[in-house]
Amino acid sequence: MLQLLDIRKSYRIGPTEVNVLNGVSLEVQQGELVSIMGPSGCGKSTLMNIIGLLDRPSSGSYCLDGSEVTYSNDDALSEIRNRRIGFVFQQYFLLSKLTALENVQLPMVYRGESGPAVRERAMELLQRVGMHERAHHRPAELSGGQQQRVAIARALIGRPAIILADEPTGALDTQVGGEIMELFKTLNSQEGITVVIITHDPGIARQCARVAVMKDGVIVP
Amino acid sequence: MILQSNLKEAVSSLLASKQRTILALIGIVIGIGSVIAMVSVGKIVQEESLRQFKEMGTDILTIEKEFGGASGSALGGGMPGNAPKRNLSLPVVMAIPSRCPGITAAAPSVRGSGDISFNGKKLERCSPMGVTASFLEINKLTMREGRFLSDLDEQSRYCVIGSLVAAELQKQGTTQLLGSRIRLGDNLFTVIGVTNEVPQGGMRRFEPNEMIYLHITTGLRVFNNAEISSITARVSPGTSNNAARDQVMAYFTTLGKAQVRITSPEEIIAQMEKQMQMFTLLLGAIGSISLIVGGVGVMNVMLVSVTERRREIGIRRALGAKRGDIRGQFLIESIILSLIGGLLGILFGVGASWLIAHFAQWQFVLSFGAILLGVGVSNAVGIFFGYYPARQASLLDPIVALKSD
Repeated sequence: MLQLLDIRKSYRIGPTEVNVLNGVSLEVQQGELVSIMGPSGCGKSTLMNIIGLLDRPSSGSYCLDGSEVTYSNDDALSEIRNRRIGFVFQQYFLLSKLTALENVQLPMVYRGESGPAVRERAMELLQRVGMHERAHHRPAELSGGQQQRVAIARALIGRPAIILADEPTGALDTQVGGEIMELFKTLNSQEGITVVIITHDPGIARQCARVAVMKDGVIVP
Repeated sequence: MILQSNLKEAVSSLLASKQRTILALIGIVIGIGSVIAMVSVGKIVQEESLRQFKEMGTDILTIEKEFGGASGSALGGGMPGNAPKRNLSLPVVMAIPSRCPGITAAAPSVRGSGDISFNGKKLERCSPMGVTASFLEINKLTMREGRFLSDLDEQSRYCVIGSLVAAELQKQGTTQLLGSRIRLGDNLFTVIGVTNEVPQGGMRRFEPNEMIYLHITTGLRVFNNAEISSITARVSPGTSNNAARDQVMAYFTTLGKAQVRITSPEEIIAQMEKQMQMFTLLLGAIGSISLIVGGVGVMNVMLVSVTERRREIGIRRALGAKRGDIRGQFLIESIILSLIGGLLGILFGVGASWLIAHFAQWQFVLSFGAILLGVGVSNAVGIFFGYYPARQASLLDPIVALKSD
């Protein structure tokens, strides 16, 4: 499903070169629930950006769904993000001017799809995450946990190969965070959706079937 | 579908920052409004002067003696081909209608100068001119009082005065205009008629209201260095101006080397239109300056909007928006802004030109060209001044955009 091979990433800050990732290799199989855990500064955010195709590695190879995606052009990367990856962010990142339902439909707009079928599916997904009664509310009228549920529905609408969650419970209290984790686990176990969760919280990582621990730009075996 | 959602979002985003949107709109409205007003006023002035011009009819040729460079060639003196004399003689001119079938009437005139006085007081702003009986009809003048000079008034001491001259005489206490005597140099002339006031300009190469008309034979005798300088000829119905002009030219050529310049209204109208176009262009250029200022306002608003919505751009990019999608979204926003400004600007500009025309007592004409221009230009402003901010938005790095607040 997802294969990273010797991914390296360095930034040049002034005269010095900072190596953030020093050869990360990781494989995630279809239907896995994996967490990537590590302290802040270990490079997990950079890794998450590379997996999410928001950033490119300096070297190494990244295959998603069997095809090499590392060196595609910007438009192709947008297309892959749109079709293969569902993002869930710590800050939810819903568009404040749109309703929950419109937010969920947004990825399909960039696929050129809209209409009753998309709307219906968005409604189903909102029901799936328990938010169908709030479909016409705007994000400002929803609690953090509710916003994250809408964000998860948005990540699911494009039937992505993988859900990429970056500290999905980081802004929520323990109880609501637990509910969100339960939702991920249910999606994974009942529907076989592949989920990768990036977190610094061992408590979250422990709930995942597999934990990859990162330290100083590499994955600790 | 993307377009539809872009349109909806562009409108809601413009509404979200009303104050800024309104300020940018004012800039665009003034910019487009002034272009429209300027172009529209230019058009109104053009129509107005053409109207004055056409009032006399376009079936008129003006035959003028060519000044300068002409060597003495035989054109008259009753003895064509003989004594080199440059002047157009009266018999030659009066024979034009009979020699050229395309001309129904010819009205030669001779201009004089010198002191003009009435009751011992000098009359300013008047000038004498020797004319024939045909002059009245060709120049579309009408009589207010009395009669015009006739062919029987040869060598007479009668004169017909324009409305301004009449007003001048009345100011000096005359109640009975007809029969008043005006002194022209050493000669006294009796007023036998007054012409109605007519607008100045157009094909009349004189100020009809300030004239004192004498019979041409009198004029040729009493004016110093008198010569026929200009002939107005009316083209017969069914003959084109060019054909008539060729006939006249041929007629003068048979008399010797052609020494006349013939102008038809078409040429003058074409020339005037050319001048007016330049005038309108100039006005448009002046208006464009404020349009540029308005455009910069749009650009500013869009740049602020891009900066404020960096995170939104990042989210959209993460969800799969291509650079082109982002660029399109912001371009649509600036085009909508400019188009709304453009429509209001058209109203503003047309209104302003209506007011100007109203106070200048010109006939108002709605210039569809100007309206089309307004719509086109506002669209262009939106694209031109919106492209840079839209491009900036599309080139934002998604990670940087997501991290900004």
